[in-house]
Amino acid sequence: MLFKMFKPLFKNKKFIIGFSIFAFFVILGLLGPVFYKVNPTEMAGMFESPPSREHPLGTDTYGRDILAQLLHGVRTSLYIGFLAAIISLIIGTIVGTFAAVKRGIVDEVLMAFTNIILTTPFILIAILIASYLRVRSIEMVALILGLFQWPWFARAIRAQLMSVISREYVYLSIMAGYSDLKLIVEDLIPTIATYAFMSFVLFINGGIMGEASLSLIGLGPTQGISLGIMLQWAVLMEAVRRGLWWWFVPPGIAIVAITSSLLIISTAMDEVFNPRLREE
Amino acid sequence: MGRTSRPLLKYLLRKILFLIVTYVIATTIVFILPRAIPGNPLAQILARLSQLSISNPEAISAANRTLMEEFGLGKPWYIQYVDFVSKALRGDLGTSISFYPRKVIDLIIPVIPWTLILLLPATITAWILGNTLGAIAAYKRNTWIDKGILTSSLIISQIPYYWLGMILIFFFGVKLEILPVQGAYSQGTIPSWNLNFFIDALKHYILPFSSIVISAMGGWAIGTRLLVIYELGSDYALFSEYLGMSDKKVFRYVFRNSLLPQVTGLALSLGSALGGALITEIVFNYPGTGYLLFRALTSLDYPLIQGIFVILIASIYIANFLVDFMYALIDPRIRLGQED
Repeated sequence: MLFKMFKPLFKNKKFIIGFSIFAFFVILGLLGPVFYKVNPTEMAGMFESPPSREHPLGTDTYGRDILAQLLHGVRTSLYIGFLAAIISLIIGTIVGTFAAVKRGIVDEVLMAFTNIILTTPFILIAILIASYLRVRSIEMVALILGLFQWPWFARAIRAQLMSVISREYVYLSIMAGYSDLKLIVEDLIPTIATYAFMSFVLFINGGIMGEASLSLIGLGPTQGISLGIMLQWAVLMEAVRRGLWWWFVPPGIAIVAITSSLLIISTAMDEVFNPRLREE
Repeated sequence: MGRTSRPLLKYLLRKILFLIVTYVIATTIVFILPRAIPGNPLAQILARLSQLSISNPEAISAANRTLMEEFGLGKPWYIQYVDFVSKALRGDLGTSISFYPRKVIDLIIPVIPWTLILLLPATITAWILGNTLGAIAAYKRNTWIDKGILTSSLIISQIPYYWLGMILIFFFGVKLEILPVQGAYSQGTIPSWNLNFFIDALKHYILPFSSIVISAMGGWAIGTRLLVIYELGSDYALFSEYLGMSDKKVFRYVFRNSLLPQVTGLALSLGSALGGALITEIVFNYPGTGYLLFRALTSLDYPLIQGIFVILIASIYIANFLVDFMYALIDPRIRLGQED
């Protein structure tokens, strides 16, 4: 069933382009560190040398290999993005469906809670929490990011389900005595599946961008290398004003390429699955 | 009927009430967090200090003594909380540790205008340019203009503000050497109201301003394009077309209606815009709130961090309210009480 659902996507040119770029970076992150066996945290050559045959992307102030950092960085950033997205998706789906199904006071409380988080910038909450944690693992950073970026999704899910619930087939299920859980799983979840998938893709973006922001402000993961950490090092060492372009350009390109490929995927899905956008 | 005589007032009062409640919750969290997170550095500093104060009261520096007093060591949490709120209401956000003995509020107030000068014009410019581009793309749907705008907007919208800032510094500041690479004005000059300073500040302004405008523009363009396309398919647009109304005229109605959700979008995006601008300030060493926050974070100056958050969150909510107010003014449905 899943295959049938996604099949029309592979006829869409935009989707193919976005998917190929994203797949490229996933492979780069997964296999890159396996094949390019340079330790990203150890001195590997001269200090701050521009790209050469030995170091395809040059080295940083401590003579560490930038390509090795980039490959590990892509891996970490994608991992953080996925983890944060899963957390956000789960929370958002639970809050959104419960608000729509239970209605009344449950709905009011959940939506008030959602609106409160929505009004407060998610990156500020993340900065505030991260500033009190002295040791931040990669998973911890993903958790902080994932915990606060779901509100817009919960609201959209709730709105969509509210309109689904008033349809006849749902009435029939309710009359047939379905429990809330059975109703949610069998009748409601399928109607939000594509939207949830598109949002998942955007949540990954939020996670990757959020990690980079946190890292730049000095609150990223305290161990490991991510794309944000690379940028932070470059800023700390004044790489930009000293013209060391090979240091700060690659991690930025990786961030933009990954996140825009995901955005293209999500836009293409919208075009394929949303009848109002289909071209006449 | 549910119609009241003053729907606009009721709508605004509800908004204000919501924001006040939200603000109380948010500042309470700002208060609780350093006291609740296990193993947080502030608790450790305070615990060490309190031990020290029993054995050797003289060994504690004045800055640390202030820290102890302000975080109300030894008092029950609810008294600490009442202290915190009543002081904050009187405009006292405590004393900075890294800038001891200066008050937190005195450190924050001078940097706020710099952030506002950067953030507000940039956000509004991006909003206008982005919406215009999006509308053009929708109007020229499926032509190369549309495809060009859409593709470039998709990519541009994913460029982090600060990274674009780095690229701009590198090209215009380092390679071409035509614009200054950091700060809000040249080192050694003192901010004053004269032409020379104005020109100097303007030169420093161009790069951080452009980096925010360019990277924020793409998102608006994508959103407006979609909204206009939806709206063009609505009954009233089709009907006007069948009536033989000129394309331009229909488009003008459609454009105005599509902008409404983008006004609400502006309120929601202010937060992320602020976050982005804060980090852009770090990249540019621009003397605004973000740069101050960065310095507070690196020196673990918790009273200052806490104070910045209390102020930042308040300003976000105020901005939010202003946008909602604008929205209420332009949307006749709210003005006439036909919301929901």
